[in-house]
Amino acid sequence: MEQMGGDDQAAIRAVLSGDKNAYESLVLRHSRTLFRVAYRITGDEADADEVVQDAFLRGYRKLGTFEQRSNFGTWIYRIAVRCALDKVHHRRGDDESRVGEESDPEENEVQVSDRAPGPDRLLLSREIAGMQEAAMHCLTPIERAAFILRHMEDRTTEEIGAALGIRPNAAKQAVFRAVQKMRRRLAGLRVNT
Amino acid sequence: MKHLVEEELVGQAYGEGSDDAGRHLEACGECAQAYADLKNDLAEMKPIEAPARDAAYGERVWGAIADSLPVYEPRPRTWFGMGLIRGLSYAAAGLLLAAGSFYAGSRWQQGRTPTTAENKPPQPKRNARPIVVVVLGDHLDRSERLLVELKHVDANNAEMMPPLRKEARSLLAANRICKADAKKVDDPALQTALDHLDHLLNELANQPGGLNAASVSRLKDEMDADGLLFEVRVLRSRTRNRDLRFTDRMSGGAA
Repeated sequence: MEQMGGDDQAAIRAVLSGDKNAYESLVLRHSRTLFRVAYRITGDEADADEVVQDAFLRGYRKLGTFEQRSNFGTWIYRIAVRCALDKVHHRRGDDESRVGEESDPEENEVQVSDRAPGPDRLLLSREIAGMQEAAMHCLTPIERAAFILRHMEDRTTEEIGAALGIRPNAAKQAVFRAVQKMRRRLAGLRVNT
Repeated sequence: MKHLVEEELVGQAYGEGSDDAGRHLEACGECAQAYADLKNDLAEMKPIEAPARDAAYGERVWGAIADSLPVYEPRPRTWFGMGLIRGLSYAAAGLLLAAGSFYAGSRWQQGRTPTTAENKPPQPKRNARPIVVVVLGDHLDRSERLLVELKHVDANNAEMMPPLRKEARSLLAANRICKADAKKVDDPALQTALDHLDHLLNELANQPGGLNAASVSRLKDEMDADGLLFEVRVLRSRTRNRDLRFTDRMSGGAA
């Protein structure tokens, strides 16, 4: 990892010295990580691809302001999160109308024993995945991004705050509100035996 | 005994709880049950699986953006960058050279016949106005990047505005050269797009009182309404294989 950081620093110095092709190694190294987080936040493959490209373009333009002591991976990751969030904000009008159509909890309620093994369990997992997706539409873009960064990307509160451009305490609140909403939405799924 | 609230339980579940909360969970059965329920619920929330991207994905991303990236001008090296000793030796060499030049110059001046302006041989007149060449593809690349920046800019971040303005000014000059020459190639789509671009760049570059959240938001709306980014992307893809160069004589470097 340290070696990777050193490689990144060398590539950045080369780019800033006029060798734009040195940026390729940074793109190759970090593209897939950015795609993963972009996809998780936007929920759309084409949007995620666009976010990755926008993030690298934006990163290139701002490379002159990049602190050499920082970690490029973390830095470009934050830029990608911002780009993904911008994308979600842009689409939000459409999403809200979709949430309205799918937000009736009664309609989506599936009650299955959560201890049942076998095919039922597999079916339940699929149901849960579908419900989870629907539940995530109830979250605001910031809550959704904060939840994804905390729950799926294992980022700390400080990192989430930095990526979303909010204070750590606000990031913590956003994660909490997201978990609370998700639990309420998914509560109908389970009847404990 | 004061029970833990849900927020504290969530913090605990993500490894950011306090020591007090940890001790409380060991001592309080009710909170321990609530915590176990929360952990179960969180375990049910599976990570979203992103579609697989193969090892060549990075190369495709690079292929998509490489043409749009300008080359950074190498930064001038600083005294500290060169190392103090090397810097001082350069300085000493420079001083020596200057002193030598001064001495040689004064010696030469003493033995030289005075020359007046009249008996100087005629010099060829140099053109004071440099020729500026704008490659349309490069101009559209830069314009696209600016539009993408504008689309995503945080309007409340005042630090982002001066670079946008500076780039818009630079592009505005180049755009006018392209606009003037676009008439000669009889391409109505190109002319229309460059007109739209001119309008937007002008507003960006010359907004009275500078750019602020309201003006940026309005410009974003205008850009979206005109479909300008799309227009520019279409033109860029059309011109990618045509090396159109627009030329003008002007007093500043715009391209």
